Amino acid sequence: MSRYIISCLLCLLGPVMIAQSLKKEKDTTSYRDRYGVRVGLDLFLPVYSLFSEDTKGLEIVGDYRVSKRFYIAAELGYRDHTRKEDFFEFTTSGQYIKAGVDYNAYQNWIGMENMIVAGLRYGFSTFSQEVNEYTINSDPFLPERTMSDPLSYDSLNASWVEFVLGIKVEVLHNVFMGFSFRGSTMISSKEPDNFKNLYVPGFERVYYNDFGFSFNYTLSYLIPFYKK
Amino acid sequence: MKNLLIRMLVFVALLSVTGCERDEICLEEISPKLIIRFYDDKNPTLPKQVINLQVHIEGIDGEYTNETIKTLTDSIALPVLVTANTTRYTLTLLGNEQQGTEDDPDQFEIQYTMEDEFISRSCGYRTLYYGVEATLQEDGSNWIKSLVTAKTPQDITDEKTAHVKIYH
Repeated sequence: MSRYIISCLLCLLGPVMIAQSLKKEKDTTSYRDRYGVRVGLDLFLPVYSLFSEDTKGLEIVGDYRVSKRFYIAAELGYRDHTRKEDFFEFTTSGQYIKAGVDYNAYQNWIGMENMIVAGLRYGFSTFSQEVNEYTINSDPFLPERTMSDPLSYDSLNASWVEFVLGIKVEVLHNVFMGFSFRGSTMISSKEPDNFKNLYVPGFERVYYNDFGFSFNYTLSYLIPFYKK
Repeated sequence: MKNLLIRMLVFVALLSVTGCERDEICLEEISPKLIIRFYDDKNPTLPKQVINLQVHIEGIDGEYTNETIKTLTDSIALPVLVTANTTRYTLTLLGNEQQGTEDDPDQFEIQYTMEDEFISRSCGYRTLYYGVEATLQEDGSNWIKSLVTAKTPQDITDEKTAHVKIYH
């Protein structure tokens, strides 16, 4: 019985195998990859801004293909971010640039240009911090004091290294949708006197050990320059 | 394949939006308290314990009105007002019927200037007190014989050592 089934399977598979080998012989045209510059916009921030008064921002992304698997990539953006903590509220506003490389770890089928991205960036931001209000309390049973004169800290800056993991998919001809998740660690940070850089544009929230996480959803357009 | 990638994208997107954020609780030192140490009036280097002491801060009702220190101690920590440059304390030594003693309230005040210092995201700011001066109010029958700041000038920036010494 089993021999019968196996024979049947072999008979069925036979033509497929032949077809594949035939196809291979026929396929003599070599496919050439497209090289060009890809520019796009982060979609998350504009949408998020519609629902939240606390964050305004914009991010432009771009990359340029330099070899089969490597891309030079950069992000440029600004943020205006207000956050209320338990005892104070602060606003950070400023701009940032991130530049580095992307590596495409995805083995595409011929004609496809999707990406699984592993990348590295150097980020730099200049910004200002403003403490809008703070409350001091020395004991739960004693009255608290609220200071509502804003404290401003200007000309601050920070730089960091960022690791990128993401994907990019060609959804329409030359149009890509992408998502990337970033983990970053601070290299340098010019801290204000008597306050801390708790948020840095581009780096986003600065966690306890100077770590940060961020992400973006991008829609970008490929302008092909040449084929190779 | 394209379909799978899009599904992955949506999944990762959802994952990152639902992540939690508030991971910090305030563990640092907040505004320091006033540390008072009690010494023997007759032998000023010798700490002398107190018991049945009731503390009241002027203008504050509640906890510091009726809370009584019922165990023997030679030092206490009292919160300082952040809303004024003066805090007035009343330390009442409670009387004992068996010994035929009555309540003996003694009042003193400390004056200071404040400076606010940023600590952390979770704790916010704290205040430190500088140029602290302490004065005892004489009422004719003080159980507190004298009261001095431990140093001149005295700052209250931590709770490691006593800021005010009371001799009784």
